[in-house]
Amino acid sequence: MGKFIRVDMTSKEVKIGECPEKYAGLAGRGLTSSFVADEVKPTCHPLGKNNKLIFAPGFLTGTSAANSGRLSCGAKSPLTGGIKESNTGGTFSQKMAKMGIKAIVFEGIPAEDKYFVVKVTMNGVTIDEAPAETVGMGNYDAIKILQQKYGEKVGVAIIGPAGEMRLSAANISFADRESNIRSAGRGGLGAVMGSKKIKAVVIDDTGAPGVTIANPEAFKSAAKRFAKALTTHPVCQGLGRYGTDVLVNILNEAGGLPTENFRRGRNEWANNIGGETMTATIEARGGKPTHGCHAGCVIQCSQHYVDKKGKYITGGFEYETIWALGANAKINDLDIIAYADREFDEAGVDSIDCAVAVGLAMESGIIPWGDGKAALELIKEIRKGTPLGRILGCGADAVGRIYGLSRVPVVKGQAIPAYDPRAVKGEGLTYATTAMGADHTAGYAVATNILKVGGFVDPLKKEGQVELSRNLQIATAAVDSTGMCLFIAFAILDIPDGFNALVDMINAQYGLSLTGDDVAALGKSILKAERGFNQRAGFTNAADRLPEFFEEECPPHNVTWEFTGEEIDEVMNF
Amino acid sequence: MSSIIELRAFMDLADLFRERNWPSPLEVDIRGEMTGAQLLAMLDIRPEQVEVVFVNGRAFTPPTAVLTGGDRVALVPPGVPGPYRVLLGFKKLD
Repeated sequence: MGKFIRVDMTSKEVKIGECPEKYAGLAGRGLTSSFVADEVKPTCHPLGKNNKLIFAPGFLTGTSAANSGRLSCGAKSPLTGGIKESNTGGTFSQKMAKMGIKAIVFEGIPAEDKYFVVKVTMNGVTIDEAPAETVGMGNYDAIKILQQKYGEKVGVAIIGPAGEMRLSAANISFADRESNIRSAGRGGLGAVMGSKKIKAVVIDDTGAPGVTIANPEAFKSAAKRFAKALTTHPVCQGLGRYGTDVLVNILNEAGGLPTENFRRGRNEWANNIGGETMTATIEARGGKPTHGCHAGCVIQCSQHYVDKKGKYITGGFEYETIWALGANAKINDLDIIAYADREFDEAGVDSIDCAVAVGLAMESGIIPWGDGKAALELIKEIRKGTPLGRILGCGADAVGRIYGLSRVPVVKGQAIPAYDPRAVKGEGLTYATTAMGADHTAGYAVATNILKVGGFVDPLKKEGQVELSRNLQIATAAVDSTGMCLFIAFAILDIPDGFNALVDMINAQYGLSLTGDDVAALGKSILKAERGFNQRAGFTNAADRLPEFFEEECPPHNVTWEFTGEEIDEVMNF
Repeated sequence: MSSIIELRAFMDLADLFRERNWPSPLEVDIRGEMTGAQLLAMLDIRPEQVEVVFVNGRAFTPPTAVLTGGDRVALVPPGVPGPYRVLLGFKKLD
């Protein structure tokens, strides 16, 4: 059934038991969200003793299934005040799964004013004092020190200085195979880990038995079909070659690339920061244009972005970060954006929320629009812990409140990412209604077996968008439980056997006979658990609304956000 | 009235533009009105290389895209990731 580990940071007691029966049929986001809904007091202070942080690999993590190495992290969010699942690559998840660990829960708060490292091995779990030099250190060097101490190949989950300061946009960083950084970025879970005085969790899978497969032949066959669905699809080539940054030019052309703090949906310099330019730059400088965030990834949408001398600056250089600085804050310089992305990772903050916050710093006049050098210096303030740095590290909502702004693109306190909701209306409904706060990854997969709308969706019109957003969120919650990267969504959408193969792999691994309808039911139950938590925490439907300024027209299409409250509320009416 | 359109291309179609020494945007004289499919034929671009033709920011399949002078047009190959092929109207849902 898998081990369920509880680490009590108050007493330093560790309990390693069998996974409770009620969680046996859950994994990934399904498990983290159900657990938080069951065990975390909804009205608790997110940085207080009653919050709990949980890590859980997905159903298929640790197997040979392509793209199955993602990890779900859950807790009550200090950014939104609601439930949070934040998802990451890296090596941690696959090690957990191979060690037979269903989940690790961190609870309580130590009395001591010092940081700890939680070490997980096949022999058990120990809690050490964190190496003093890692405290206050940037994440890249701190990971190196921890891997020198605990083993070159250990998985590392770590908070940076922002997590130590318990800033509400602090993330949890995870080492990848090259000891670079992947992030459970959104929602401030790094602050929760920091409140528990956990500097890092290291995991050593030496001696791990590996994942047990109930029906190995059937699994192998389904995994082969699934990998084929991924690798034969054009998206695999597009993402691999250009990364997620390929979306800059597409959204710009669609008039949905928010520019100058969401004043318009298109700009003239988009191509300078787009995926085509990024890849050409990396290739010309001898960097790595393709890279996987975890072992077994066949899409390889990540990259190593390098400087003019070919030295690594950053990886996992995503569209949303590049958009927030390059279009929304008008910084027409991919190199400066790369250094900013690096600094976000060093400090350990969400590069979406804090990059949107940079745009708000420009909106408020702290620095000029488009001034990349000033923006980079401002971002460095986060790690230094200056008052302004701490404000920026608490994300867009904090900057908006403290500088008296009304044009603040957040929902439930979380920054709206890179798709203007007026020009991509289905995305807007997901931003409004997901329990996570504005999150583009909350609506990412389409399961056509439960989709009730057909034909082409007009992104500028309301028709069909409620059903589409609902379907996207249901399917995504289910996919988030598999340990699969969300980019498998295209295989599910376009290749019927891709979806069947996904279900067949789960069935073969666990000896089950799930159907596509069961997967949809799982997605629905996860969304209901998450929404139930938020309701008990005090959220009402009034929280499911976009900021007022989206009533303004957005050029070039001059469209507005025109959904009524009643229409928005239909998204979660199932 | 002008019969010139302004044409852009993304992803590997941008490489095609570079190989042919075409600037981006490329000004193309369509001599009246034509469909996206006709434009591709005129430019010697294979139909399977293009999933969507943007016309003034709206996505169409190549045969249904109607181009007139003054339009801003962009060619998008298959391979746009995420749910955006659905959300932006690229993909017909059955």
